[in-house]
Amino acid sequence: MPALTADGVSAGYGRTTIISDINLTAERGNVTTIIGPNGAGKSTFAKTLVGILRPSKGRITVGDVDITRMPGHLIPRNGLVYVPQNDNVFKRLTVRENLEVGGFASRANPETRMAEILAIFTDLEKATDKKAGFLSGGQQNLLAIARALMVDPSVILLDEPTAGLSPAYTDVVWNQIARISQLNTAVVVVEQNVERALKHSDFVHIFVAGTNHVHGPAAEIADLDLASIFLGRSGAH
Amino acid sequence: MSNIWYYVFTLVFFLFDYFILAMGLNIQYGETGILNFAYIGFVAVGSYVTGALALPSSVGTGQHYILGLGLPFPVNLILGGLASCGLAVVVALISLRRLRTDYLAMVLISLSLVLYDICNNFVPLFNGADGLYNVPEPFAGVLKLTTNSFIPFFAAVTGVIAALLWWVMSRITRSPQGRTFRAIRDDEVVAAALGKDVFRNQLKSMLIGSFYAGVGGGLIIQFSGSFNPTAWLPGETFVVFAVLIVGGVGNNVGMLVGSLVVETLLIHLPAFLPAIPGHPGLIEYFDSVLIGILLMAMLWFRPQGIVPERVRRALSLGAPANLVAGRGEAPGSAPGRPVPVEIATADAQGEK
Repeated sequence: MPALTADGVSAGYGRTTIISDINLTAERGNVTTIIGPNGAGKSTFAKTLVGILRPSKGRITVGDVDITRMPGHLIPRNGLVYVPQNDNVFKRLTVRENLEVGGFASRANPETRMAEILAIFTDLEKATDKKAGFLSGGQQNLLAIARALMVDPSVILLDEPTAGLSPAYTDVVWNQIARISQLNTAVVVVEQNVERALKHSDFVHIFVAGTNHVHGPAAEIADLDLASIFLGRSGAH
Repeated sequence: MSNIWYYVFTLVFFLFDYFILAMGLNIQYGETGILNFAYIGFVAVGSYVTGALALPSSVGTGQHYILGLGLPFPVNLILGGLASCGLAVVVALISLRRLRTDYLAMVLISLSLVLYDICNNFVPLFNGADGLYNVPEPFAGVLKLTTNSFIPFFAAVTGVIAALLWWVMSRITRSPQGRTFRAIRDDEVVAAALGKDVFRNQLKSMLIGSFYAGVGGGLIIQFSGSFNPTAWLPGETFVVFAVLIVGGVGNNVGMLVGSLVVETLLIHLPAFLPAIPGHPGLIEYFDSVLIGILLMAMLWFRPQGIVPERVRRALSLGAPANLVAGRGEAPGSAPGRPVPVEIATADAQGEK
């Protein structure tokens, strides 16, 4: 059973539909990336998955739990955690407090879980008493990912986790994403950088004008004429 | 008791009382980020209800008010605090669920004005513009307190209540609940994404803060024996905000320091200074000017306040020796062994 299933999801703001009939599945242990031009509906879809926006049509399930109309704050308890694009840490709380806030949504012992997470994110362990606002942009993104893992999710949804980072730190974040997927977690990433998305992902979905235009294994997607697809043409060879 | 001691104990009372009020606003604004510009309305509700519960039936008193149950202190004080909580529930259900930051602040300012007009003009409620007076002094009969001995006695009682409420507030702010409040203050969306019910937690914060507001207001009417609309003009909310900003938002010790500087030294002390010859009452009007200057100076030179919010120190956490990463095994790793991951040290390149 897929960790996350979106079946025919449509959503928007008010009467304006932004995304239409989106289908997507994410498996544990895989990195599934959503790419597409600006305005394609990637972030709208992410917000719909986590209950910030209500879908007008379709069904969203995490494992076998239907979360389609579930209040947003209950969704993490069912295994789906969202890491927003910017301002994704509690800047006036320390690193430790940031992790603890995530830990109390988990059924696991927060202290044990935190030790596990800090063993993975070794940079953060050195800065547990530092206010999150004093971390660099890349470290803040890693903290946001680490904090999401405190919930012990089956699916982690990252909205442009490398936005604004230098190329060197972008690789650091992507390497972490790959390792998170190895923890038997399904990772869904919304990304602008096509090259890196194809390099690090198992499956890729290309959104164009609010639809899931093309999707498939990253290796196959890499063979397509992506420039044409991004411009709204079919792009298939 | 000489005049000087009367002044001193009055200042001590207001120090403790505004400490309580500031703690209440701090949990709402400093800890949870709710910009409650109607805070003085919650203080007034607590004050009126406490007073009206302490007073006997209004028949034959020359006043018009509801309740009039003649309840003893501190039962009336607690109920006054709970009355403010009742108002908080109504306000939260109407505005907190849908409005954020500046829009919420505008609604709350409006609420403060509406409350003021109702209390000022609807005489049967709390005696209109005259307000409540002749409120019995707590324990004065039992302890045979005179007017002179009541002031230091009640200043001490207020100090004890302030200490108790400080202890409770410290427990709250240090608890996981306090951390959740601060997380919501920093970012509501991220907090919700981690499973926090933002509205429910904001409501809790409103209730706690409103109880403190109600108790602080109740102590004022018990101390002075009277309370009327001139005591809680909507602008008074900003005096409590000044206590927070000067003392240090998000720090309970800062509330005490802010209360000392703003409420005691700037507002009440000038009222006891000798008048300027030829300009009686002029000194008292300087308090608003001084508060304004102080606020601007603090926001410019020391926005974190005199006592800034503390960084909660944590003990170093070591990973368990038998650590297993997550629920699955990383490819290439032996079962039961940790999965070490090297992260490049963040440098300037990593900055956004």
